[in-house]
Amino acid sequence: MRANRRASFAPSGAKPVARRCVALCLLLVATASVVIDRGTASAESVPDFRVIVHPDNPSTNLSRDTLTDSFLKRTTRWADGETIRPVDQRPDSVVRRRFSDSVLRRSVAAVKSYWQQRIFSGRELPPPELESDEAVVSYVMKHPGAVGYVSGSAKLERAKPVQVQ
Amino acid sequence: MRRGNRTSFAWWGLCLAGCLLPTVWASNAHADDDDSSSRVLPVEVHGFVSQGFIKTNANNYLAKSKAGSFEFSEVGINFTKSLTDRMRVGIQLFTHDLGPLGNYRTRFDWFYLDYHFFDWLGVRAGRTKLPFGLYNESSDIDAARVPILLPQSVYPVSNRDFLLAQTGAEIYGNVPLGPAGSLEYRLYGGTVFYDTSDATSTLANVEVPYIFGGRLMWQTPIEGLQAGGSAQKLRFDGDFTVPAAQIAPLQMAGALPADFANPVPFKLPALLAVASLEYNAHDLLLASEYCRWRVGLTSPVPALNAPTQQSERLYFMSAYHVTSWFTPGLYYSALFPNADDRAGKKPMPGALPGTPPLGRAGYQHDVALTLRYDLNPYWLVKVEGHYMHGTAGLTSTLNGDQSLSSLTKDWGVFLVKTTAYF
Repeated sequence: MRANRRASFAPSGAKPVARRCVALCLLLVATASVVIDRGTASAESVPDFRVIVHPDNPSTNLSRDTLTDSFLKRTTRWADGETIRPVDQRPDSVVRRRFSDSVLRRSVAAVKSYWQQRIFSGRELPPPELESDEAVVSYVMKHPGAVGYVSGSAKLERAKPVQVQ
Repeated sequence: MRRGNRTSFAWWGLCLAGCLLPTVWASNAHADDDDSSSRVLPVEVHGFVSQGFIKTNANNYLAKSKAGSFEFSEVGINFTKSLTDRMRVGIQLFTHDLGPLGNYRTRFDWFYLDYHFFDWLGVRAGRTKLPFGLYNESSDIDAARVPILLPQSVYPVSNRDFLLAQTGAEIYGNVPLGPAGSLEYRLYGGTVFYDTSDATSTLANVEVPYIFGGRLMWQTPIEGLQAGGSAQKLRFDGDFTVPAAQIAPLQMAGALPADFANPVPFKLPALLAVASLEYNAHDLLLASEYCRWRVGLTSPVPALNAPTQQSERLYFMSAYHVTSWFTPGLYYSALFPNADDRAGKKPMPGALPGTPPLGRAGYQHDVALTLRYDLNPYWLVKVEGHYMHGTAGLTSTLNGDQSLSSLTKDWGVFLVKTTAYF
């Protein structure tokens, strides 16, 4: 009886159609997962920011501590004696906020406060604040001791990206 | 001697100004030049303008505050030029008015020549801010902090003239300690130019034959945590004028000789020390300092001599950047003029027989809440309220020459301040 009912509800040629539907669904799922994976992968492959130095700078990676000391001017020389010239971006830029949060571990406001203390007590001057990624790349290319950061999608020209450890 | 002090002070400043002005012109002249040297080492100009308002519900504090006072202004501008990668010169002009203090007299706030041999060794000569505690060097700079008034127990604005800067030399450096963090040191020595021309001053011919001290700050391996200590030793020599109204009573009490004549020469040695702890990471600031001042007084009039007195000062402070434009802050600060008598149950050590206990003048507890609004990157507004318990730190001269023990014990301060800076 059950077999008959199945037989009565199953049109001729239904089996191949169902298989095709299942296959199509699997294909869609697989395609979607690949697309999602690719999207995730591409999002991960574009970092929030990149730290760049002059192409003649031998460094390939810099520790977060080194970068913090350089941008707060606690350390002023590279290992080869060249003066470190950190360069910042505008305080209201997204890339500055990301760099400040993840490398300096202080908000932009806290860093500004740090520099106000030093500027007006005659201790030290802050890094120059440039308007754009292009300006930072240009500055880094002009100054062998420069270190800056740009957004992940910025064109680096010949500036050398370094890994932050 | 004081005139000589002032003359050499002005001479130094003018020399530096003379050095800097041509470089301002030169850097402007090369503004369109692509030569990197003129761009790398420009003259940096920074400045600020502040205007505040202070109101108390009782007791005049810092100004004639019971009626509300706008005598709360600060203006500063500085010029800094890096002559080479290692050498820098700078100068800051500053003028302020806070009640009887300042009165808009323009001064060289600091000026210096700085040579940086290594990260661990630099030297600086000129008039430099005193590194005492976490915030002494920036205590003038409204934009650099959250509160309008830094905790007054440790950073009293009324002592600005002799606590803020010295004329002499300093060595400094930052020594890496590997995984243990790093150590920043500052050592200095010189003299202090003390201006006695303020309206409330009963002092004259004040000289500081020496001041020396240092600060050691350890940047711990814990992100944003630093701890350290500062100490300074100095001595004031000068003449003190006993107010005319007090001479007869003091003579009657036998404290002054019958043939007494003003002024009284004095020597006032002081030793100041402070321990500091600060956590400043992400959006949070926590700071605390504990401070002791040992001050003595000697003069040819035995009754005016005072044994060494030790005051105690401390605070706990916090601030949090809620957004880029809003930062509230809160602190508790305490001041005890006599560290051995925090309740004011005794008179000050060395007081004349029969002197009543300090009472409410033996302490000042201060709880302050600040709201800071950064309207844009160059302009901020702050609103601040204080609940005060005790009258230590107040001055009789601002309060009709009343004894501090007779002023209102529980009182409040309300402040508003706006600052533009660049």
